[in-house]
Amino acid sequence: MASPATAALLRHEIEARIPAAFSFCTRHDQGSIPTGIASIDDAVQGIPLHALTEICGSNLASSGKTSLLMSLLARATQQENFCALIDGQDAFDPASAEASGVTLSRLLWVRCGKTKQKLKPLEQAFKVADMLVQSAGFGLIVIDLSDFPERLVRRVPHTSWFRFSRVVERQPTALVFLEREPHAASCAGLVLSVKSRPAVVKGALFTQCGMEVEILRTLERKPPQAFRPLFSLRSQWA
Amino acid sequence: MFACLYLPDFPVQATLRCEPEQRRELLIRSGIVILEGSASNNRVISLNDPARQLGIELGMTKLQAQSCGSVLVRQRNLQSEEAAQGALLDCARMFSPRVESTAPGMVILDVNGTEKLFGPLQRLASRILQQSREFGFCMNVAIAADPDSASCAARSWEGVTIIPQGREAQFLARLPVEVLSPGPEILDTLEAWGIRNLGALAELPSVPLVERLGQDGLRLQKLARAETSRTLVPAELNDEFLENFEFEDPVESLDSLSFILNRLLQQLCTRLLVRALATNELRVRLDFEVHQLQTEAEKEVYERVWKLPLPVSDAKVLLRLTCLELEGCSFFAPIKRLTVQATPVKPRALQGGLFAPATPQAEQLEITLARIRGVVGREDENRMPCVGSPRTVDSHRPGSFAVHAFSSEYALVGMCTERPAVALRKFRPALETKVDFREKPQSVMLGKRSLTVLAASGPWSTSGQWWNHSAAWAHEEWDVALKTSDGAGLYRIYFDRMRTQWFIAGMFD
Repeated sequence: MASPATAALLRHEIEARIPAAFSFCTRHDQGSIPTGIASIDDAVQGIPLHALTEICGSNLASSGKTSLLMSLLARATQQENFCALIDGQDAFDPASAEASGVTLSRLLWVRCGKTKQKLKPLEQAFKVADMLVQSAGFGLIVIDLSDFPERLVRRVPHTSWFRFSRVVERQPTALVFLEREPHAASCAGLVLSVKSRPAVVKGALFTQCGMEVEILRTLERKPPQAFRPLFSLRSQWA
Repeated sequence: MFACLYLPDFPVQATLRCEPEQRRELLIRSGIVILEGSASNNRVISLNDPARQLGIELGMTKLQAQSCGSVLVRQRNLQSEEAAQGALLDCARMFSPRVESTAPGMVILDVNGTEKLFGPLQRLASRILQQSREFGFCMNVAIAADPDSASCAARSWEGVTIIPQGREAQFLARLPVEVLSPGPEILDTLEAWGIRNLGALAELPSVPLVERLGQDGLRLQKLARAETSRTLVPAELNDEFLENFEFEDPVESLDSLSFILNRLLQQLCTRLLVRALATNELRVRLDFEVHQLQTEAEKEVYERVWKLPLPVSDAKVLLRLTCLELEGCSFFAPIKRLTVQATPVKPRALQGGLFAPATPQAEQLEITLARIRGVVGREDENRMPCVGSPRTVDSHRPGSFAVHAFSSEYALVGMCTERPAVALRKFRPALETKVDFREKPQSVMLGKRSLTVLAASGPWSTSGQWWNHSAAWAHEEWDVALKTSDGAGLYRIYFDRMRTQWFIAGMFD
């Protein structure tokens, strides 16, 4: 075993050649895009740039994940970002987005699986995401995979998620996946799971929906499991 | 002072101009002849120096030319010559706004007062030569005090010739009489008199010359003495940016096509840049070598117009866009001619904000969008684009929308709502379903499961386009809360009165 003096000498010699060899790589505050929902923004300070985010929720029950996404898109476009939505199964509703405040002229909408192509819709979505992430300039890129069967998304190799997280790390872009279950594991900088609470009906109209968010993973610290931000969504006609 | 730009063997240069650079260099070194006329009466109308060295002369037939040695034989292409003349004018306009299109392959420009911009005449001439190489030309440049002297000098001496003011006659004296292009009768007479150069012609007494040769003789003598003075006839600006290329052997692969396409686009973009223009519409036309059309789908010509959302003047961007589009096409016959036309527009002028977020680079974005279209397709079965910027339309029809071209140019920023609204996830196409309906929906079939309706809100009746039977619609919408395994799901269902069928339009999520 080397003596402390030898270790110090070696360290000195290595640092002379490679100054950052023994220093820690600190993550600077790299900015975020607010979701527009105060309780979530207070808890996670918005959706982080330079990172991969997963927003999960059921596709059978109304979980609120799409509404959360619309609110995020509205804030991102309001901040003069150009956004891209890769719509895996063509489920995006422009009227809802406009009602949520999304500036549609700042949104690129890619509708996968609408024509007969060599690639299947899920493969198309990932390929297009790759192109957009590489092209740079988009503040927010959303890939909506929530309508794909879970067994298909689970088959996506972990290396794909890892590649996305590494590419987006160098760009001022928030990469958001909308899914039923989280899949990116440690590659994700933020994982939110959204669940619904009973809807409020006044007379013959739905007026409000309550939602609950569970923070499964964040960049900086272990998420407080007990803290689950609540928020409500108004209906467009309320 | 006037500068004359002259392209020797103009038809040859016009033909070679669109060849890729390396191939052009090779062809210039080998003999090339241009023929004109019907198949039975093809005659050489232009040739280059290597072809002359082989003994080929103007007026020879194709067979005679080929028997002299190995030469490349091309048919005359008037469209190429027209495009080359346009390019020559554009090249000249970089140095002076007053340009005359004197003859095919020759332009004269007024360079008075350009010293402050381009320096002394020698430097100006060098810059003209340098610029001409970018256009694919090999030209002679002559500068003189009058246009005709400059024209004579450019046709006679290679490279740059600058004739000092007042010494024109002295400079031109050595030139042969043929340089003035006299008529055959006058040339014979002068030959008989022993007048072989301009110096000798200039020294002849004027009155006896007019008595014997008429006014033509006097005109020639004035040219020889450099005593002519005329004003330039400025050429009109031509807004047609068109380049074409006829393949010697028709090509079948995109790789072969892209070499020439690249060259044509470079030529177009150079011309556009010289005029401080860009293009937002590119038209590509491919002429096929077709002997007989087999099916109705087959056509002799493929034509495609690309409308770009922003003006572009970068040949690389245009090439990538065009190639990405052509990759998806299959052609049934080899291509014999390629034509590219650009619609000129003013280039975009955009001031970026210092503190605004980064935006996608416009040219790069166009290439990315073209690649994305290659992956997801261009349009769906309703001819709605698969890639673009979504828009709502002024219609009461549920689910109607439009997709516009996406651009990263300045776009207005909307206002956010204070409280987020419930968004609808659409099912496209709407899912057919069965509904147990007793005054209001009691249960709804979702897939193979029947889900109980916890609450229902409706009916909301909408209808429209009743005047058009095929497009008419009449819906009775219900918003229902269904009991699912994951909790309550809010769905929008509707009864289509025209088709008497229930559908699920989407889910509030």
